[in-house]
Amino acid sequence: MDPSPSDTPPLSLRERFFKSWFPPAAVVGGVATLVIAALRVRPEPRSPSPAPAGEPAPAITPPAPLERQYALVATIGGHALSAFRESLLDVGADHSGQVVALGDGHVRVFTAGGENLRQWRAFDGAECLAVGPDGRVYVGGAGRVDVFDGAGQRAGGFSFGDAGKPASVSAVAVHGADILVADASARLIRRFDASGRQLGLIGDRGKTKTFMLPNGKLDVDIDAAGVVRATDSGRHQVTAWALDGTPIGRFGKFGMRDPADFVGCCNPINVATTPDGKVVTSEKMVARVKVFEPDGRLLAVIGTEHFDPMCTQIPLAVDPTGRILAADPVRRLIRAFDLSAPGVTREEPR
Amino acid sequence: MGEIRAARVVPLLRRFGPLLVVVAMFLSSVLVAQYQKAPPDFGGSYSFPTPTHPEPRGTWVRALDVAMLAAGLGIGAWLVLKRRSRNGVLLLSVASVAYFGFYRKGCTCPIGAIQNVTATLVDPSYTISFGVIAFFFLPLAATLLFGRVFCGGVCPLGAVQDLVLVKPVKVPVGLDRVLQWLPYVYLGFAVLFAGWGLHVLVGGWPIDVGRRFIICEWDPFVALFRVSGAFHMLAIGGGFILAGMFVGRPYCRWLCPYGGILALLSRVAWKNVRITPDKEVDCGLCADACPFGAIKDLRADRGHCLACARCYDSCPYEIERRGGPSAEVQIARLVRP
Amino acid sequence: MIERSTRRQFIDRTCRLAGFVTLGGAAGLLARRASASAVYQVDPLKCTSCDLCRTSCVLSLSAVKAVNDFAKCGYCMLCPAYMDVTSMPDEKGVPAGRVCPQDALKRRVVGTVDPDDPNNNYYEYVIDEARCDGCGKCVKACLPPAGNGSLRLEIRYDRCVECNECAIQTACPDQAIVRVDVPGLSPKGHDVTHG
Repeated sequence: MDPSPSDTPPLSLRERFFKSWFPPAAVVGGVATLVIAALRVRPEPRSPSPAPAGEPAPAITPPAPLERQYALVATIGGHALSAFRESLLDVGADHSGQVVALGDGHVRVFTAGGENLRQWRAFDGAECLAVGPDGRVYVGGAGRVDVFDGAGQRAGGFSFGDAGKPASVSAVAVHGADILVADASARLIRRFDASGRQLGLIGDRGKTKTFMLPNGKLDVDIDAAGVVRATDSGRHQVTAWALDGTPIGRFGKFGMRDPADFVGCCNPINVATTPDGKVVTSEKMVARVKVFEPDGRLLAVIGTEHFDPMCTQIPLAVDPTGRILAADPVRRLIRAFDLSAPGVTREEPR
Repeated sequence: MGEIRAARVVPLLRRFGPLLVVVAMFLSSVLVAQYQKAPPDFGGSYSFPTPTHPEPRGTWVRALDVAMLAAGLGIGAWLVLKRRSRNGVLLLSVASVAYFGFYRKGCTCPIGAIQNVTATLVDPSYTISFGVIAFFFLPLAATLLFGRVFCGGVCPLGAVQDLVLVKPVKVPVGLDRVLQWLPYVYLGFAVLFAGWGLHVLVGGWPIDVGRRFIICEWDPFVALFRVSGAFHMLAIGGGFILAGMFVGRPYCRWLCPYGGILALLSRVAWKNVRITPDKEVDCGLCADACPFGAIKDLRADRGHCLACARCYDSCPYEIERRGGPSAEVQIARLVRP
Repeated sequence: MIERSTRRQFIDRTCRLAGFVTLGGAAGLLARRASASAVYQVDPLKCTSCDLCRTSCVLSLSAVKAVNDFAKCGYCMLCPAYMDVTSMPDEKGVPAGRVCPQDALKRRVVGTVDPDDPNNNYYEYVIDEARCDGCGKCVKACLPPAGNGSLRLEIRYDRCVECNECAIQTACPDQAIVRVDVPGLSPKGHDVTHG
C-alpha cells in the first residue's frame, strides 16, 4: 500500500504558505526590479526648450578696408633684463614717450625701445596706474592712490572710503588737477583733487545709473579735451562723460560678426584715448584692440595674433606720438603699435 | 593639554568635514581667479540665494547601520540556534533585503570591506572609516561565535538568492568540491587588486591596472538594489537570480570571498548548527531539505552551512518539539511500505 | 557517543581563541587611525569638464551636478554658459542657441528692469538638478576669459550613493575626484582638504 499523502509528516499551514508562493513572488519581484532598472539606463538627452540648438552664425565677414592699419613696432618685457616674472597689471606712457608699467609689485620705467631705466616698489594691492602730464605717476588700488614723481619719490597720495572694506580701484586717469579714480566696487568714477577731496562722481547720472561690470573691472581714460571715456562692459558700450558727470553719449553693441561690435558677455574691458581724440578699446575672448572715431565708427583692428587668447584684461595706453601700448598680462609683455602703411609689419609678433 | 584641545576640535571636524572641503575648494578657486569683488547693484529687492550643499550622511546614520548589523546578527543567531525557525530566518532575510539592500543600496557591505581593510593595511595613507571596520569585523566575530548566521539572514546578497530559491537542484558532490575553491581564488584577486593593482607583462602586452575594488565593480546584485546601472551589471544580476531559482545560492557558495573566510571561521565556531548524534536516527530528511549540500554523511558541514534553518523544518524531532506527532510516529509513516 | 573527540575540541578552542585575538588586534590597530567617514568630491582646480562624470557614475542620472557660485557670477544677460554666443541671434539680437543639452540652466530676471534697455538686465542663473547630468559644458563655457568661472561641477550628496570605490574617480583622467576623510580618533587625523 502506497503511503498516502496524509501519512507524510504534516506541514503546518504557515510552512506550506511560505513554501508555495513566496519564492516565486520574490523571483518576479527581482526580475521586475531589474527590468525597471534597465529602463532607467542613461536617459536620452532631451531636446532643449524652447530655443533650438541654433545654427552657427556665418563666419565673420571680412571687414571693408579700414582707414587705419597698425603695425607692431616693439615688445617690452620679453627680454631677460626687462622681464616681468610674476605679473603685469597696467601700462602708461609719459610725455616723453617713456613706457611706465606696473608689474611684479613695482613700477618700472622703460625707454620707448624697451630698455629698463628705473623701478620702485608700489604698495601692496596696487592694480593700476596713470601718468600725469607733468610726468608724475599715479598708482591706484585697494581704496587709495599714491603719487610718485618721475624719479620714483613719493609725492603725495590719498585714500578714500572705508578702510576696513577698501574699494576696488581698477583704473586711474589724470587731467590737469583732477584725478579720476574708477571705483569698481561702487561701479562709478570718482573725481578727486590732489589732496584727496572728492569733487564729484561720474556715471551716476543718465538713464542707466552706474556701470554694469560683470567681470568687476572698470576702465577710464580722459582725452585732451576733457572728455571722460569709460567702459560699460555689461552693456557692451563705451561711454562718454563730461568732467562734471554730464553724460555726453555712448556707442557700441554686442555682436559676434561685425568687427565693430563687442563680443562675448562683457566687453570692452579697457579703454584709452589718443592725442587726436580717437578712442582705443580692447576685448577679451577674442583678444584684440580696436580704434574708433569718437562717435563710434571703427577705424582699425589690431588682431588677435599679438595677444594671448586667455587674456582677461588688456590694459591700454597711448603715448603723445599716438603709439598704442597694449599690455598682455598672460604672456607679461607690452606691445607697441604704430600707424603704418597697410601691409607693413616692422616686427614679427611673438 | 593638546588632547583636550583635540577632543574639542575633532567632533567639530567630524561634523563639518566634507562641507569644509567644499568650502576650502571654493575658497582656493577664489584666490586663484580674482573676480567680482563686489556684487552688482541689482536695484529693487534681491538677495543672494544661499547655495545649498547637501551634507553627506551624518555619523549617526553610519552608527545606525552598524547597530542594525549587530542587531541582525544577534537576532539571526537566536533564530537559527535557539528558535530554530525557518520562518523567522525568512522574515529576517526580507528585512535585510529591505534595509541593507534597497534602502542602503547594498553599500557598505562586509564583502567589499575586505578591500578597504587590504588597502589600508598595504597603504596606511588610505584611511578606513569606523563603519567599514565594524562591518568587516562584526560578522567575523559573530561567525566565530555562532556560525554563518551572517549568511543566513543578514547578508542582502545571500538573502536575495535565498528568497528566489524555488526548485533546488542537487549539485554533484564532485563539482561542488571543485567549485568551493573559487571563493579563495576570487579573494586572492580581490586582495591583489585592492592592495596593489596589477602591473605585469603578459606575453609582451603590458597590463597596468591601478588599485581597483573588483568586488564592488562586479557585485551581482548592486544594480538590483540601486534600480539602475550599466547593462552588463543588470545582466549579471538577472543571471544570478535566474540561476538562484534552481541552484541554491550560487554566489554564496562558489564566489563570495567573504564567504570563503567565514567558511574557515565557522568550522571552529563555538555554537553552530549541529546534528546531535545522541538522538540521531539518520532518516536523511534534513539532507534532502538542505539546498546547499551542507549536510554531508548526515552531519552538518560546519564550514558550508549557511544557517538557513531549512533542515529544522524537516526534522521529525523538531516537528515533535513544535507540537506535531511524535518522531517515532512520523518515521514509522515514512518507512511503511 | 560524543561527536567530537576532546583533541578536536581543543584544536577548535585554540583556533577560536586565536581567531578572536587576531580579529580584536586587527580591529584595534585599524581603529586607531580610522576616520569617521569618507566621501568623494570634485576638485574644481583639476577638473577639465571632460564629460566622464556624466557617463561614469553608477547611477543613471549622475550625482555630479553643475553648481553656480553666486558671489562670482556676473549675472550677465549674454551668459556664455547659458547661450551659445556664436549661434544665430534671434530678432532681439540675443543668440538663440543653448549650451546645455538638457536645458538644465535656468535664468530669471532680477533687479529693476531698465525701461530704456529692456533687453539688458541682470539674470540669476540656477541649475535644475533634476535635469543636469554633469556633462560640464556650461562649466567649460564659463571659464575665463569668456566668463567669470563661477560654474563648477560638484558631487551632490543627496544623490550620491557613496560607493566604496567611486566609479567616477576610477574613470577621471585628471585625478580630479578626491577622497575626503573626516578625522576619527587620531587628533593628528588627516587634512580635510586632501583626501
